[in-house]
Amino acid sequence: MTATGRQRNSLGAAGLNELMRRSQQGDADAYRLLLTRMAPRLRRMIVLRAPWLGREDVEDVVQDILLSLHLSRHAWDPDRPFLPWIATIARSRLADHARRHARRTAINIAASDLAETFCDPTTNKDAEVVVNLMSMRKAMLDLSPAEKQAVDHLRLRELSLHQAAQTTGSTVPALKVAIHRAMRKMKSVLWKD
Amino acid sequence: MSTMPDPRATTAALIARLARDTQPVRPLSSPLRRGLLWGLATLTFGAFMAWAVGLRPDMGQRLTDGHFLLEQGAALATGLSAAIAALALTIPASARALRLLPVVPGALWLGTLGWGCLRDAQTAGVQITPDPACFLYIALIGSLPAALLVSMLRKGVPLAPRLTIAFAGLAAAGLGNVALRFFHMQDGALMVLIWQVGSVGLLAWLFGLAGRSMLPWPVLSTRRTRS
Repeated sequence: MTATGRQRNSLGAAGLNELMRRSQQGDADAYRLLLTRMAPRLRRMIVLRAPWLGREDVEDVVQDILLSLHLSRHAWDPDRPFLPWIATIARSRLADHARRHARRTAINIAASDLAETFCDPTTNKDAEVVVNLMSMRKAMLDLSPAEKQAVDHLRLRELSLHQAAQTTGSTVPALKVAIHRAMRKMKSVLWKD
Repeated sequence: MSTMPDPRATTAALIARLARDTQPVRPLSSPLRRGLLWGLATLTFGAFMAWAVGLRPDMGQRLTDGHFLLEQGAALATGLSAAIAALALTIPASARALRLLPVVPGALWLGTLGWGCLRDAQTAGVQITPDPACFLYIALIGSLPAALLVSMLRKGVPLAPRLTIAFAGLAAAGLGNVALRFFHMQDGALMVLIWQVGSVGLLAWLFGLAGRSMLPWPVLSTRRTRS
């Protein structure tokens, strides 16, 4: 790195420290500027560390980190540098997101397996199809209206999360939670049978 | 066909909302200071519990026994340093040395007990009898300090919840064990190692298992801002 580059970076870090210090004092303009400057940095960091994430997922993590910064800003010591502090939070949130992503993928794979097993007529005799459909209906009975709606839009109609959110008037996180819960409930009912 | 919301626009809206709602916050004081304050409160509670149950009759004699004092000092230092380490774990990018604090006093504590076991084996012989009351007393004396420490930890950032809560369990149970020795007549090193240090370790492990539920990420009531 050149001397000019180092100087620019150190000035940037000092500037961010100052913005964070003013943010802790309740300066809304400094806080907006800090978050606005941090968003692209975080985006770059996430893309670098998790290149497999889609654009929406990257933005999800950026928002999670910004929210965590907001809720933890009292845990920053003004005598210590800000960048290592936020980088630690960012790494932790990214790891949490990766865990959630892995869990969601596993559930989706399990759900696809269920759908294949229960809906493929060539692998089922007529009586089995009836029993399977009854089991599916029974599994659906335990779902709340929001969870049924999530299964209907995301699994049966195969809409994306954003499309389903727009159609139902819900939010993406609420739909994620609903489908996660629905899949868990349905799996527990079907496996019990 | 409906247009998709731009994910970056929702981030911009979130930033605007967070900036609009911002309030002044008071920075947390250092883990060292908070850990020592917690230790002071815990020792006061432990002293009260020892007084309430009744001090052991040979307390005066024990207080002149160098080995007893060294062992108690090491247990006390282990508990305090575990509390400081737990608090440091909830501060992003905090000094690594703070997180490793319990290593040396913990090793000293186990070392004094190991040496005591050897000494007992050569003199009075080794004897092991069941003493489950130790676990109950340590859990009882450690319960309030543990609740206090967890509430202090929840003010920080849950970066490593299991390890943090395990350290909190070690801290509370460790200081509970120090108080226990003031009224419980059990000085056999192997007995102390198995029933008392074992109870402390078991409680720390159980606490660690519940780490994620005891120390979740804080949430904002309105989680996402829709554009």
